[in-house]
Amino acid sequence: MSDLIELEEPGDSGHAMRDEIRRTSDRFRGRRVAISRAMVALSCAALAIAAVPLILLMYQLFKQGVGQIDWKFFTTVPTTPTLIAPNATGGISNAIVGTIALTLYASIMAIPLGVLVGVYLAETQSKLATTLRVISQTMAGAPSILMGLFAFSLIVHDLDVGFSAIAGAFALAVLMMPVIIISTEIAVRNVPNTLREAGLALGAKSHKVSLKVVLPSALTGIVTGVILAVSRAIGETAPVLLVIAGGFTNTWKPLSPVSAMPLAIYENAKSEWPSQRAQVWGIALVLVLFVFILSLSARIWASRKQQVRN
Amino acid sequence: MVEVQSEIQFQSPKERGPVAMQLKDVAVSFHGRTAVRDCTFDVTKNKVTSLIGPSGSGKTTLLRALNRLHDLTPGAKVSGTIMLEGTDIYRGDLTVTELRTRVGMVFQRPNPFPTMSIYDNVVSGLRFNGIKKKSLLDESAETSLRSAALWDSVSSRLKVAASNLSGGEQQRLCIARALALDPEVLLMDEPTSALDPIATLHIEELMKTLTKRVTVVIVTHNMQQAARISDDCAFLLMGDDRAGELIEFDTTEKIFNNPVDSRTLDYTLGRFG
Repeated sequence: MSDLIELEEPGDSGHAMRDEIRRTSDRFRGRRVAISRAMVALSCAALAIAAVPLILLMYQLFKQGVGQIDWKFFTTVPTTPTLIAPNATGGISNAIVGTIALTLYASIMAIPLGVLVGVYLAETQSKLATTLRVISQTMAGAPSILMGLFAFSLIVHDLDVGFSAIAGAFALAVLMMPVIIISTEIAVRNVPNTLREAGLALGAKSHKVSLKVVLPSALTGIVTGVILAVSRAIGETAPVLLVIAGGFTNTWKPLSPVSAMPLAIYENAKSEWPSQRAQVWGIALVLVLFVFILSLSARIWASRKQQVRN
Repeated sequence: MVEVQSEIQFQSPKERGPVAMQLKDVAVSFHGRTAVRDCTFDVTKNKVTSLIGPSGSGKTTLLRALNRLHDLTPGAKVSGTIMLEGTDIYRGDLTVTELRTRVGMVFQRPNPFPTMSIYDNVVSGLRFNGIKKKSLLDESAETSLRSAALWDSVSSRLKVAASNLSGGEQQRLCIARALALDPEVLLMDEPTSALDPIATLHIEELMKTLTKRVTVVIVTHNMQQAARISDDCAFLLMGDDRAGELIEFDTTEKIFNNPVDSRTLDYTLGRFG
């Protein structure tokens, strides 16, 4: 009992301090509320300013684009309008097939490699890892036409493959890779260390821990990064501009020239025929819907995955 | 190997029974800064040995030296000798993965693998070590979950994600996961500090039965817990240079009732820490 410290009764001084704290904070409360309201108003104004161009863009896209789209738009290849039939633009099936093919081949090249490099960067500390990190960060900021030039000189010219889907896919893969590497590294780094330790403490080799424990735990983050990279690749014009040569047939062959939606927009926008220029909005709308559906399904997948876990 | 063994003669009172692990002058340092030192004691087989002491006394650091978990920490160095059944775990011919299958660990916070089901969690250690035979995995899952007193509540939902379990259940799942490898020693790093009193009670009851199968070394902040569950007790304290050191090692009864060092008495009576 003697060990217990006697608690002092709070004297007048204790209460005086408490009163002063209350008085001062009351005085400041009015000012705080005013500042808070001003900040909310400013934020709303900023939001409105930022949203206006976006809303205008979407409005324009739908207004001009919806009228261009019908069944034939998806199923036929483009035709050149003539003086007799100035509105005979045909569809864009070649560009849709081309975009899907390019994205598919690029994904096959970039996703496995990018994810593995990302895991490597997150799980090891070495000179090689540091170098790779610097390279991918630099590449992520490089202008995308550079990838096109690179693919042109390497695939089309040096390897003599010619203008082809595979050259375009290569350019897009080089573009996607840094995005995938960086986001994978972040996702893997965010996996709590306690899980790695749990794996190691069970006698697992560190590469097994990376593959069986860390990678599955980081999967939602990795997939988000991959979708981001794929969405960006779908909409890119510059890298494919120099290397795919814009074919007019529906083809999945990696070695034939193909078209792509961004390229079709670029070509049509230059056309002397008003009907082809108008078609640009239809292609743009389809492209935006593509990306939208892709990112939406990724979000739904990720949130489902999260729910199962919680 | 033989030379190493003959060099070191550990003293072990006969009444304590056979020894599972022996520590001799064990010290751990990070980037040259000593975190814990002077640890010499024997861990008796099929008993519970507790490591107690205030924060910063190096209990967890010492525990993690026993399954070489410091190996991956850059700048970490373990000196002295730690023997497992007569084999030096740092210099002997025991690989680190083999050591960790023989010396299991349960962590402070329950850390089941979130992407795996209850079943997959339990057998994960076996799978990491190349065991694929379904019948063996099934048998081990049931035995381990029974040993961890979890079988009855989860046997009908083995395929459910482990994260659906409560905190206490998750910790018992982690114990089952460690037991699945049939380790000789189980290290427990404050296994109940993140749990409520009921779940803590369950784990403590479990520990008593576990000693039939394994030797337990447990770090605990909770002195009542150490007194309740452990047979032997090591008391560590932070020295003047902020490095932890072993003050006293003895039977738990002796440490709590009649310690040699006055600091031990002060700590167990709650006068500091």
